Amino acid sequence: MKLQIVELHDCGLGVSIQDTGRHGWRKFGVPVSGSMDDHAADWANRLLGNGPEAPVLELLLQGAKLEMLEDAWIAVTGADANCNVATWRAVRATKGDVIQFSRSVSGVWTYIAVEGGFECARFLGSASMFARGKLGFPCATGSILERTHGERFKLQSGVAGRFTPMNERRNYDSPLTLKMWRGPQWDLFTENDRGAFFSQQWTVSPDSDRVGYRLSGTPLTADSTQIISEPVRVGSVQIPEGGSPIVIMRDGPPVGGYPKLGIIDPTDISWLAQCRPGRTLKFQPAE
Amino acid sequence: MKWIPYGPGAVMLHFADKLGEKAFLRCQTILAELEQHPPYGLLEVVPAFTRILLEFDRNLVPDALAIIPHLEAQLKAAAKVKLPRMPVKEVSVIYDGPDLERVAELNRLTVPEVCRRHAATTYKVYMLGFSPGFPYLGDLDRRLHTPRLPVPRPRIPEGSVAIGGEHTGIYTIESPGGWNIIGRILEPIYDPSRGSALSGEEAMFLLRPGDRVKFVPVRDRRASA
Repeated sequence: MKLQIVELHDCGLGVSIQDTGRHGWRKFGVPVSGSMDDHAADWANRLLGNGPEAPVLELLLQGAKLEMLEDAWIAVTGADANCNVATWRAVRATKGDVIQFSRSVSGVWTYIAVEGGFECARFLGSASMFARGKLGFPCATGSILERTHGERFKLQSGVAGRFTPMNERRNYDSPLTLKMWRGPQWDLFTENDRGAFFSQQWTVSPDSDRVGYRLSGTPLTADSTQIISEPVRVGSVQIPEGGSPIVIMRDGPPVGGYPKLGIIDPTDISWLAQCRPGRTLKFQPAE
Repeated sequence: MKWIPYGPGAVMLHFADKLGEKAFLRCQTILAELEQHPPYGLLEVVPAFTRILLEFDRNLVPDALAIIPHLEAQLKAAAKVKLPRMPVKEVSVIYDGPDLERVAELNRLTVPEVCRRHAATTYKVYMLGFSPGFPYLGDLDRRLHTPRLPVPRPRIPEGSVAIGGEHTGIYTIESPGGWNIIGRILEPIYDPSRGSALSGEEAMFLLRPGDRVKFVPVRDRRASA
């Protein structure tokens, strides 16, 4: 029996199913994919007692609208898109409820989890959508999503609610400094370039997506050394010709030929993911 | 062997200075050893021409650099693999790419010569990367080595056959890219609908590292019709 839980009325600027990613296939050229903000996605699942690998819905900025097809517990976390449902907490939704994300207020990616997790076909071991590679279930207007046959979520008796602690809810507009470790080509860059990189404010460019976030500022002078194509980790700070950094995100290619000055600490990538175009940020050495 | 730090929970092994047959064999030996005797906490291995990335579960291996001596001892003792001679896989191609003239001019060849030379070599898949199933093919005829475009194209169609530096390759999905496009293949080499969890999902990738590949030029029927 299918347990239909949600119908998508409007995908807004973009809706996709994501989980913790597609691991083990980078040697075939397949990127990791998965939730851009793993911190928020993880909290959406935790609030409902789901395992960390349960698929969630990832919404881009604003405009999404979905209807509940049954009574169920849900949780909305991540970017503030003026949702009509209370966020960062478990919420009991009722059949017929329409959940809307009308206007992006802060951050980029919003997550919705349902009790038990969304039931979804795995492609190369993961439910994560990688659209360009045609992997994953493509969400569209009219798509009906199901939940798994797991045990239903129950609030313990006597407990008023289930909330994300305040110190774990994030303000995506707060000043941001990202910890960066040295990358494989750290030594290719001059002392001046490294200094300039850490001392300046970088601005997230509108030309950013799940593949990479481009940063604008005073370009580094790095000569355009092409290196032999080598493995690239998510969070790598690449400096291509022109000297403006590109941070490789979750749909980024597993190998590449641009020099990598550094790599953002894995726990900080979720902060960068929520930076809207125009947001400024700085880097500090992790060592 | 040289070990390169690459952030928490990972380390990159530099195992060769030059790309080519020797480096490829070395890479396969290391991969086989890591697959047969995976070090504690190893999550994923990403091979490339001269370097291999090892990613560990950070809860199990908080400091990957600390286990380098152990890894090095294990890999030094690894038995060399012998690769079977792989069959030649034929890929039909139409040479009508927008950069044929550029490749010809930069190498002082005529366009027909570029096509003839490109189709004359039996290539080897050195690695997959960039996009799902994208094969980096060598060894390309020296007279066809061509620098990448100064400005990458935002969109290269799926199936484009291209030359980037000393390699030739096939774009498996629509993507941005800076290689010189010289043609297109007729049948996809990456097809997510092929294979299943039961039968083995790697069936979606037609070409694998070590495979030999020959391009078979065909005339464009639509053009002659």
